[in-house]
Amino acid sequence: MHILRYITKRLLFVIPQLLGIIVVSFALIKAIPGDPAVLMLGPLASEESIGALRTELGFDQPLPVQFWIYFKGLLHGDLGTSWQTTRPVFEDLMLRFPATLELITFGLLGALLIGIPLGVGSAYKRTGLLGRLGDFYGLAAGAVPDFWLALVLIYIFYTALGWAPAPMGRLDIIAIPPPQVTGFYTIDSVIAGDWETVKSAAANLALPVLTLSLINAGPILKMTQSTMQRMLNADFSRYAELAGLPQRIIVRQAFRNALPSVMTIVSVLYGFLIGGAVLVEIVFSWGGAGQYAVQGVLNSDINPVMGFVIFAACFSLFFYLIVDLLYFLVDPRVR
Amino acid sequence: MSSNLEWEKESSLSGQATSTAHPIHAAPGARARSRLARARGKTGYFFAAIRQHPEFGLGYVIVVGIVLVGLLAPWIAPYSPVTADPSQYLEPPSWQHPMGTDSSGMDILSRVMFAPRIDLTIAILGTLVSAVIGTLLGAVVGYYQSARGLRAISCDAIVRASDVLQAFPVFVFAIALVAIFGQSIQSIIAAIAFVNIPIYLRLTRSQVISVRNTRYVEAAIVCGVGDLTIIRRHVIPNAIAPVLAQLSVNIGFAIILTAALSFVGAGVRAPAPEWGSMIAMGFQNVTTGQWWPSVFPGLALAVTVFGFALVGASIEFLSDPEQRATIVARKGGARPA
Repeated sequence: MHILRYITKRLLFVIPQLLGIIVVSFALIKAIPGDPAVLMLGPLASEESIGALRTELGFDQPLPVQFWIYFKGLLHGDLGTSWQTTRPVFEDLMLRFPATLELITFGLLGALLIGIPLGVGSAYKRTGLLGRLGDFYGLAAGAVPDFWLALVLIYIFYTALGWAPAPMGRLDIIAIPPPQVTGFYTIDSVIAGDWETVKSAAANLALPVLTLSLINAGPILKMTQSTMQRMLNADFSRYAELAGLPQRIIVRQAFRNALPSVMTIVSVLYGFLIGGAVLVEIVFSWGGAGQYAVQGVLNSDINPVMGFVIFAACFSLFFYLIVDLLYFLVDPRVR
Repeated sequence: MSSNLEWEKESSLSGQATSTAHPIHAAPGARARSRLARARGKTGYFFAAIRQHPEFGLGYVIVVGIVLVGLLAPWIAPYSPVTADPSQYLEPPSWQHPMGTDSSGMDILSRVMFAPRIDLTIAILGTLVSAVIGTLLGAVVGYYQSARGLRAISCDAIVRASDVLQAFPVFVFAIALVAIFGQSIQSIIAAIAFVNIPIYLRLTRSQVISVRNTRYVEAAIVCGVGDLTIIRRHVIPNAIAPVLAQLSVNIGFAIILTAALSFVGAGVRAPAPEWGSMIAMGFQNVTTGQWWPSVFPGLALAVTVFGFALVGASIEFLSDPEQRATIVARKGGARPA
């Protein structure tokens, strides 16, 4: 019961925020110079046809009316049409969002695999080599731009060693995309039992995932390190040490108590990466949602940008909610 | 209360016993303290901290070095940063061109040396603008947090608005802002300032809420000092430490953001020497084996951001009274009571 009431309260809190996001992105998009009607019809279009299209799209209406038209469509799940792809934005995003999610999910899993052991280790051996390595990694990972690291990895593993496939998207050209179930090519092709496609999808994932893992392990490491340090110095850890418990158990107990803050940073990173992985997507021609939105902004294609921002916001709000629920499982004090 | 204690600790540490700590005078910035002693104390801590953590020293060396290279670039760079020699395109690193040449035949070393002029200017100005606006807004919002009426409502609205702005994907938001303002250095600065304001607003607000309840602020209110004067004289000086630590780190982020904008073609335009656009120019060459046009500018960028991060870490370290106590203990001085 308690959880249900909590979820309802959270969702009620989300609604004004979503509204705010929609209003701000609408204002932003309207402020971008460039008339979409002109762009859609090309420079040779006549005045009348441009005027007709403007009327059709509702651009001759006052701004509040335009917003109302957009908002009504939104409530019906209509995000408008992209003039670049001439397809409904909702369909475009449903196609591209899984690509981004696959990338950042695996990227964050990799980051956890690097960040947590290094963080725990460097908190445990604060003054030793591992501690220094942890400090250095935390600072260095924040200093390296992801798009540059991606290029360096492409040079090493594709150009020089020839181990990785060309950075040209999610699959090799000859591979056929599996039928969509989850939208994750790796999982879908396993479901379809198509091992050639599994291999191709995994090989194409390797470098972008490695890039994101190496960069995002930084904040995870820092958070794990500082929380673990606090927990290892806490009274319960000292007591366990005095009581003569083995170090392994003390560290495990401390880690259990550090979990909530590690989960927090992971959820923050997940929400951030939906839009933050754009550059890696561009370098690897990934065809994800972020890349779609950036192209939209650069070509004053309004609807994809709005659609992406709303999608991303909804998704991160949903994800934060899940993480809050996980707290209930991990931290008995919240119950 | 905490800043009160910190100040007392500090004054007793620097061996400069000051007169009785009256609540009002206890606010740092009071004139009771000798400026000279304070300076000696601060530099003393500074060098002791660097001795204890040599990497902080490295950070200052990097930052000063990059700034100097940028300033002196016209005199020390071997070639012009924007003049191409078409006969020498994509030359690998050699004695003549230590970092090679790019696809249009420009000397990469010279361009890397000129780039801090653009990158650092954008990053530092953008960060400063956002820090000033964000800190002021955060101080006012935090100060009136517990007030009633119109002020509290408008302050609440500001906080909600900044929440909404923070919910946006930073990069897409920044590109959209540059697209609105038109592609120029000023608009990149404005975009960077805009996306960072919420960070400073939140940081200052959370600090100010605790400062607001200290005795010296209450005493000032009782004395009839105006709200704005209290905010300016007592609240902001006591809430500023985390902002200062954040500044340096944020300059680093701003450099990466600037480069990222240029990388997708929404930032500094191509022939101008800028790290991000240089990496973008070398993008296609990487897959054909010419790594140098992209790798060197990225390396310069990473080292610079790393330097700013270290400086930020040192400021955080120095402004933490507990850490300062460990320095004093190591120096052999008396530990504060």
